[in-house]
Amino acid sequence: MKTILDWLDERVGWRKIKEVIFDRLIPKGVDWRYTLGSITLFFFILQVTTGILLAMHYSPSPDHAYDSVKFISNNVPMGAFLRGLHKWGATGMVVSVFLHMLRVFFMGSYKFPREVTWLSGVFLFFLVIGFGFTGYLLPWDQKAYWATTVGSKMVEQVPMVGQYLGSILKGGEDLGAITLTRFYAIHVLVLPALTLLFMAFHLFLVVWHGISAPPERTSRSGDVPLTDKDPNWKEKVKARYLELKHQGKSFWPYIIFKDTVAITIVFIIVAAVAIWKGADLEDLANPTDTTYNPRPEWYFLSVFQLLKYFPGSLEAFAIVLLPLIVVGILLGLPFFDKGPKRHPMDRKWLVLAGWAGLLGVIVLTVQGGRSPLTNPVVEKDPLIMEGKRLFTDLHCEYCHSLNGHGGTVGPALDGVGMRRDHNWLANHFKNPEKISPGTKMPNFNLLDSEVECLVAYMSSLGGGSFTAKAPRIFEENCTVCHKFHGVGEEIGPDLSHIGSVRDAAYIASYVTDPQKMNPDAAMQSLAEALTPDQIKDVANYLAQQGK
Amino acid sequence: MKDTKHNSGAPEDPQRRTFLIGLIAAMVSFITLVLGGSGALYFLSPAWRGRKENWVAVGPISGLKEGDPIKIDFVQRKMDGWNVIQSPSSVWVVLQKGEWVAYDPHCTHLGCPYRWDANKKAFICPCHGGVFSKDGNVVSGPPPKPLMRYPTKIENSTLYILPEGAKA
Ligand code: FES
Repeated sequence: MKTILDWLDERVGWRKIKEVIFDRLIPKGVDWRYTLGSITLFFFILQVTTGILLAMHYSPSPDHAYDSVKFISNNVPMGAFLRGLHKWGATGMVVSVFLHMLRVFFMGSYKFPREVTWLSGVFLFFLVIGFGFTGYLLPWDQKAYWATTVGSKMVEQVPMVGQYLGSILKGGEDLGAITLTRFYAIHVLVLPALTLLFMAFHLFLVVWHGISAPPERTSRSGDVPLTDKDPNWKEKVKARYLELKHQGKSFWPYIIFKDTVAITIVFIIVAAVAIWKGADLEDLANPTDTTYNPRPEWYFLSVFQLLKYFPGSLEAFAIVLLPLIVVGILLGLPFFDKGPKRHPMDRKWLVLAGWAGLLGVIVLTVQGGRSPLTNPVVEKDPLIMEGKRLFTDLHCEYCHSLNGHGGTVGPALDGVGMRRDHNWLANHFKNPEKISPGTKMPNFNLLDSEVECLVAYMSSLGGGSFTAKAPRIFEENCTVCHKFHGVGEEIGPDLSHIGSVRDAAYIASYVTDPQKMNPDAAMQSLAEALTPDQIKDVANYLAQQGK
Repeated sequence: MKDTKHNSGAPEDPQRRTFLIGLIAAMVSFITLVLGGSGALYFLSPAWRGRKENWVAVGPISGLKEGDPIKIDFVQRKMDGWNVIQSPSSVWVVLQKGEWVAYDPHCTHLGCPYRWDANKKAFICPCHGGVFSKDGNVVSGPPPKPLMRYPTKIENSTLYILPEGAKA
């Protein structure tokens, strides 16, 4: 064994490497706050591991992206867990990077001789933001599509060059196939490569300069305060660092122990959230949807909210200026805050400004999170959505008409859910000839899961008939709050197309008890004002709207 | 900045040191186990996840009679990962001794599409002249084994076949 180790040492010099990295002394006072960098490094490893696994079952094309992500969640063993880890790992990484930067800021660790370490860290921060932005699009669900739409619209508002920037970002005029492949390539190739590069540099500098010691007042034990007026202040800073360093412990195993404990705790939390919350997947991206509420991921909320304060033409200005200011502050920090003063009490104004900025970000994020949604939140039944897609894919409308569009070979399908029950529909799809002998409907050899979706969709086309009184009931009771085909108030959402997203049963329960269906609903129950039959009547009427 | 005098730090307690190293090893193994374990399940799962049986309806049996084999074209829908693929395919069906037999339409030699010759009462392969009898056995020519058969079943007087289950 010893000879092998010696042999290796002569070739790769591992003993020296071990000495420099693992046996180096870490200054006294390096405590739990110093684990944030290691936690971030761990998150990067976690993201790379889970990301590689996810990429094995992912297809970056609008036709397949959504289905492949769904496949990972539903069909691949551990797929849901790994997706959860990747999603929450991303969130965790943003948080840990941010906290790590705050630690460095408040402790003044970016100061001499670690200015370049800070700069490389700032670049790493930008890369993490880039990961978040590009990764968000990949599942190609509503959330992904609309958040990216908003993001690229922001870029397009940049004066003069906005259109060009937007096209470069999207790979064309529209957000589509090329946007997805571009984002994918950037997310899995460009950003990881750049991150590795900057990370290696960052870590090299951390070892080279040693981990910064906790800040001390410049006027320790009654000395004359050290300032940059002192021609030898750099030497004095270095000397003091060496002193503290020699009072400390070795990196291995003492500091690594702290890091590992912190990492394990964070990992358990992320894994628990991944199991508990998972990674959600909304409906398939639908560029024609007019009822969706685009929401950025929470860590972009502050920016989103801030832009709301710049109306009209000022917004274009803010879109250029604000990021420039942030970048300028981050990159310029070690150049306008120089000298030996590191302790927060020696940098009162800067630290105060830091707190103010932090508070601002928190307030904006909370406000952004609270801001009301313009459109009603509609949860659509995923089975029905799936069935609708399949209906289009199978070209059912070549033979059947729906809402007056389509062929006449087969019967019209309006209200078919009222005429046929689930069993009939299912058997019919599986074997048309058996259920309706002599039918022209071909046997599509549909998969069981496909039959299920189609049945759900057909049943949703029920609606049921409403009486001539329904429009009157609606007018008298509902238009005081709801707009309806141009008539009525705008206190509640416009109901002109409600039938495209809700079925009669849902509407009826909502009218009866709004808070049961949506705890935040402002609407009052109409159960007292209307009889159950009237509610059913109105619900059937509304379910026909916008079909 | 560089400092190699690593024995000048705070005094070390060897017992504590070993204890910490043990804990580090335990925590690292825990993370590796959870992450590596789920990753391994994810990556290796194709090994033990069999494919789903995909019976295809090829038609009602009412129209079929004992006698010459007939070729039935059908469209098979099946899952390919997250995709549903639709592939047109065909099968030779013959009623033999009261049992439905479905032959894979490819010759067992090099996969050419053979046909039924009603005069010779045999399946003839155009490529290298392979000849199979009605019960699928090789009569002459290069084919090494009898025609492949698909499992069949009758349900609701419809004939179903299982194309993935082809056996000799
Ligand atoms: S392929 Fe049929 S005989 Fe060669």
